[in-house]
Amino acid sequence: MSSISIQQAVKRYPNGFEALKGINTEIQAGSFTVILGPSGAGKSTLLRLMNGLETPSSGNVAVGEQIIDKKNVRQIRHHVAMVFQQFNLVERLSVVTNVLTGRLAHRSWVSSMFYLFKPSDMDIAKNALSRVGLVDKAWNRADKLSGGQQQRVGIARALAQQPQIILADEPVASLDPISSEEIMQLLREICTRDQITVVVNLHQVDLARRFADRIIGMNSGQIVFDGSPEQLDNIALQKIYHKEGAEYESFHAALANA
Amino acid sequence: MSYSQIEVKLPAKPRNPFPVWVALALITLWWIIWDLDISFETLAYGVSDMAEYFSRYGQPDFSELSRYLELLGVTLATALWGTAIAFVIGFMIAPFAARNFTPHPSLYYISREFLNFTRALPDLLLALIFVAAIGLGPLAGALALGIHTAGFLGKFFAESLEQIDKGVCEGVAATGANFPQMVMYAGWPSILREALGYVLYIFDRNVRMAAVLGLVGAGGIGLALHDTLRLFNYDQAAALILIILLTILVIDYLSAWIRKKLT
Amino acid sequence: MKVFMLRWPTRNGLPPFGFVALLVIALLSLILTAPLVEIELERLGQSLGNFSEFIVNFMVWPNFDYLPTLGVKLLETLQMSLLATAIAIVISLPLGFLAARNATCHPVVYRITRDALSLMRSLPELVWALVFVSAVGLGPLPGIMALAFVTVGFMGKFFAEAIETIDPKAVEGVEAHGASWMQVRLFAMFPQAFPNLAGTMIYVLDHNVRAATILGIVGAGGIGYDMVMSMRLFQYDRLILIALSIYLIVTVLDRLSDYLRNRIIHGAKQ
Repeated sequence: MSSISIQQAVKRYPNGFEALKGINTEIQAGSFTVILGPSGAGKSTLLRLMNGLETPSSGNVAVGEQIIDKKNVRQIRHHVAMVFQQFNLVERLSVVTNVLTGRLAHRSWVSSMFYLFKPSDMDIAKNALSRVGLVDKAWNRADKLSGGQQQRVGIARALAQQPQIILADEPVASLDPISSEEIMQLLREICTRDQITVVVNLHQVDLARRFADRIIGMNSGQIVFDGSPEQLDNIALQKIYHKEGAEYESFHAALANA
Repeated sequence: MSYSQIEVKLPAKPRNPFPVWVALALITLWWIIWDLDISFETLAYGVSDMAEYFSRYGQPDFSELSRYLELLGVTLATALWGTAIAFVIGFMIAPFAARNFTPHPSLYYISREFLNFTRALPDLLLALIFVAAIGLGPLAGALALGIHTAGFLGKFFAESLEQIDKGVCEGVAATGANFPQMVMYAGWPSILREALGYVLYIFDRNVRMAAVLGLVGAGGIGLALHDTLRLFNYDQAAALILIILLTILVIDYLSAWIRKKLT
Repeated sequence: MKVFMLRWPTRNGLPPFGFVALLVIALLSLILTAPLVEIELERLGQSLGNFSEFIVNFMVWPNFDYLPTLGVKLLETLQMSLLATAIAIVISLPLGFLAARNATCHPVVYRITRDALSLMRSLPELVWALVFVSAVGLGPLPGIMALAFVTVGFMGKFFAEAIETIDPKAVEGVEAHGASWMQVRLFAMFPQAFPNLAGTMIYVLDHNVRAATILGIVGAGGIGYDMVMSMRLFQYDRLILIALSIYLIVTVLDRLSDYLRNRIIHGAKQ
């Protein structure tokens, strides 16, 4: 069981913009954590640090005692799976093939180049599909499915990796309320039943409240709240969602003077 | 109040560089005509003779049709093999020449330069070289076409790969896939249709080029055309031109039809 | 089919039908036509030997005395392409109108022009060069004619399509003011369709320079003739210079045309 540890992570872009201003936190194994915050808060950047899709300008990210660097990134991704807001499935391929891409890290590249898989891989894929309830759509092309179904395929792909950690980057932002509910339930159930660490980015407060064990609130690249859903009161929400800076003040001053 | 008393000042007219460019172009063209010693008299004679000249092509002589068709077969086969070679080379090099897939920036530059190099050499020059190196015949032509169009195909493939949605690539990368796996799962499946379209376009182009490669001894119908014109055998030349034209038109039509089906 | 217990991600474990069919057709056609292309394994083996021998012979010190002649011929090649492209553009403008459904004077004219343009661009330039050399003699003139001919076929069609996609409302506006047939085409249609041409003109010029380098093979001017002769006479010291210079010119033009086309796209965005 690995946990994720982030030490003094700073992410600065070439144009000077600081997406993360020094993050220190630890994610416990088997927990269900929600990172909550407005757009531009740095939630995505923080999440993507955890599987190497982003590298910090300074500081470390460690997964299960291993600090992520260029050499072990792919090996770390054996155990860390990701679910995306835009699903990021390969549209032309079938649902099954998309789920099987989750097994690629475990296959030798020679046979996978020819799209050949072991029967054990096929079984894992089938189980993943039945967990998300999409066995009957197995042979359909991925882009012929609805948004909610495609996201479930994304989750099945993550499950096929047999990971220890699942990261979900705004998994329900593109979905309707009912599908959003289903997806969050699914993620929660996976966390509890399979004891997989789940970290989810959300901007919807009510979903965070209902599904999280722990909420990390972010604003402008910093953690401004870290606690349980019960502790998420209005003051905390203010800290998370208030808009920074002089423009906010001057805007309201201007309104007052008008 | 009369109109002459109202002064309307328009802003200064912006300088229009266009006439300057046109004048420059005309001067250049005039100089070229003078430098190349293009005699308009020759052209005029030529044009007035054109009617007579083209009438010589009026009675195509199909007496050697079977030989011509054989040559046509060789031409088409040369184009086919050339396209196949180009495809194999382009397929292997394109992922290295795509910014979003290449495993290392230096590989990107090397493969891009290689593709540019093969594109820059005219296929006829390559055909000349191959004929000198491995002898007369269609093999030299196929190799020349293959290598030259590999540059085009590789560049087309690489540009298509670069246009793939970043998210799809990340989706596969996040599972821990390595370079060849990313190429086969996120890369090629996403551009299958376009890739096929490019291959057809290149085949179409190779048929045209294969028809003329015969002129340098690389096999096919080009040599026959050259010989008949040299010997002023206009009737046979007419027949050959018609055959070439018909073939190209058919291939054009077929490839356009298939490409429409693909979209 | 379970090859060492591996299978494909399809219902029956076999690769998808369409893909297999395509692969089989491609491989079959290649195998069947191999003898036509004289592909025999022994010959290929021999060829490799010949080829490396050739490369070794090719590596000679270039003959710099040849540079002035080379320069003249290269200049001639460029001049031919420029002149041919310019002439072709001028001719293809009116033809483009006739070949556009919304600008032509008569449907029959439209059909004839369209088909004529199609024929003009079907044959490769070299074939036309052969014909024109036979008609007007050797020299750059037949080369220019051949290049211009094919270019008109290409640009005429392109221009016609540009005209067909213009906004009809602007045309109606001008017509409503009583403009004549010619005026409508000149002032309403032409300004709208012309900007599209700029990028294509650059592409055509680039293409014509490449084509011009080989027309000399049949005596139609340019560096092509020297290229073939130095090959036939085994004058590799010249050939190296020729190959290098062609490569340089084509590469420079390629980058230039990419750069200009990008400038035009960005200019249009402004």
